[in-house]
Amino acid sequence: MSTLGISFARITRTAFVNFWRNIWLSVATMVIMIITLLMISFLYFANVFGSEVLQTIEQKVDLSVTFKEDVQDQYITTIADELKLRDDIADVRVISSDRALEIFRARHADDPLIEESLQELEDNPLPANLFIVATDPQHYANIAKHLEAEKYSPFIDQVDFENTETERVVEKLIAYTTSVKNGALVVTGLFSLLVVLIMFNTLRLAIYSFREEIDIMRLVGASRWFVQGPFIIEAILVALVAVVISSAISFATLRAISPTLSTYFFDVQQSPFSIYDYAVTNIESVIGLQVVLAVGLAGISSLVAVRRYLRN
Amino acid sequence: MISFTNVSKVYGPESAALDEVSLEIPTGDFVSIVGQSGAGKSTLLKLLSAEEAASTGEIIIDGWDITNIRRWQIPHLRRQIGVVFQDFKLLQKRTVLENVAFAMEVGGAPTKEIRDTVPHILKLVNLLDKAESYPTEMSGGEKQRVAIARALAYKPQILLADEPTGNLDALHSWDIVQLLIKINKLGTTVLLATHNDDIVNALKKRVVTISQGKVVSDQQDGTYKL
Repeated sequence: MSTLGISFARITRTAFVNFWRNIWLSVATMVIMIITLLMISFLYFANVFGSEVLQTIEQKVDLSVTFKEDVQDQYITTIADELKLRDDIADVRVISSDRALEIFRARHADDPLIEESLQELEDNPLPANLFIVATDPQHYANIAKHLEAEKYSPFIDQVDFENTETERVVEKLIAYTTSVKNGALVVTGLFSLLVVLIMFNTLRLAIYSFREEIDIMRLVGASRWFVQGPFIIEAILVALVAVVISSAISFATLRAISPTLSTYFFDVQQSPFSIYDYAVTNIESVIGLQVVLAVGLAGISSLVAVRRYLRN
Repeated sequence: MISFTNVSKVYGPESAALDEVSLEIPTGDFVSIVGQSGAGKSTLLKLLSAEEAASTGEIIIDGWDITNIRRWQIPHLRRQIGVVFQDFKLLQKRTVLENVAFAMEVGGAPTKEIRDTVPHILKLVNLLDKAESYPTEMSGGEKQRVAIARALAYKPQILLADEPTGNLDALHSWDIVQLLIKINKLGTTVLLATHNDDIVNALKKRVVTISQGKVVSDQQDGTYKL
């Protein structure tokens, strides 16, 4: 084994010995780390779930435009083409007066009374419609305003979006996802700071209990890496164990609550979104994110704590 | 060869631990550094092990100018210089063997080399039969011999002994001095800082006397005089 390999093996062994010798300090740090990781995971999954719910509702939402009875199809097509050019519109569907009647008839094919009534009418009573899907639900208000302009007033009878229940749901969901995102950032920041502070002070205690050994190490010519290494590896070890425990708790919880959430928020007939399946599919990035965060925080705190001690 | 040229160490505006010290110590020499407490003996040794940095002047060890040594070079220097203190600085929860092996472990020595070397060193300091004892089970003289054994782990060219007999009775003190003479005869340069006049006078070796940070006397086959 090379000198580097020997040193690494000895440093790692010392890190494990330190871990056991300071088991209560190690456990305290680990608990804080686990709570932080759970908070961050919860916010992450809440954000994913919220976005998914929002997307599903967005797909159901559109803005409908009802044309006046005597508007000719060519004007409707022109307006539809014009709207398609807008960046905030994803799709425009034209339902002509005839097509609307066809759909109405198909829906009520089993109702002879409606069929009779329609036959009694000489003209088609249903107006032509446009169904507009925006690229983002936030754009509906602007699109509706655009359609209320004077140039459209001879053609458009009604723009059906403003003050509807759907709009309120969309607004609420947007506010919810934005809050989750902002909350996640603030809470992650606060907990990360807390972890750094607790870890930093825990390591200072650990270093203090090993001060005799550290002084002797330096006296006999131990390299900086040999002195710092065990503390940094110990901190990383704490972080990795915290990731394992936090992931186990997260996955178990998601597995337990996922069916209820899916049933509540999605249409069970159309293979509903499962947050547990999402977590399993993205297990590498979910755990990877935690490892990067935990190891990063642990590494930084331990490095700063040991360097400060050695400088003094 | 160790060379000090106009070396001063100042801690504050009116506190000079060493003042323009110039000294040359040839390889293999045995030098007693004497002086009252606070004279600057320990500071002189600390400059050699880079525990302290000189304020001015130049310190050279075997052609290596360590005056402005870089932090990353200090471990390399300390593996060439063994240091022994009055308070032994041993790990109480480790055996004699582990204390000596620890010095080699932190330096990255292979396990086989440690296993082969440590018994030889313990034999040299006459502690082979105490290899599995803990420092708490030993006398002061034995603890100091463990500290010397640890200092010898790297086969250093220089051994710095800072009041090694300060905590020992006359019998154990003489025991330690005999050990230092033995190590010196094997080719290691020994610098012994002490204020034990009996030992210095009995040694009949070079004596450098320091007073208020200055070298006031430097005699071959010298005696203790303040």
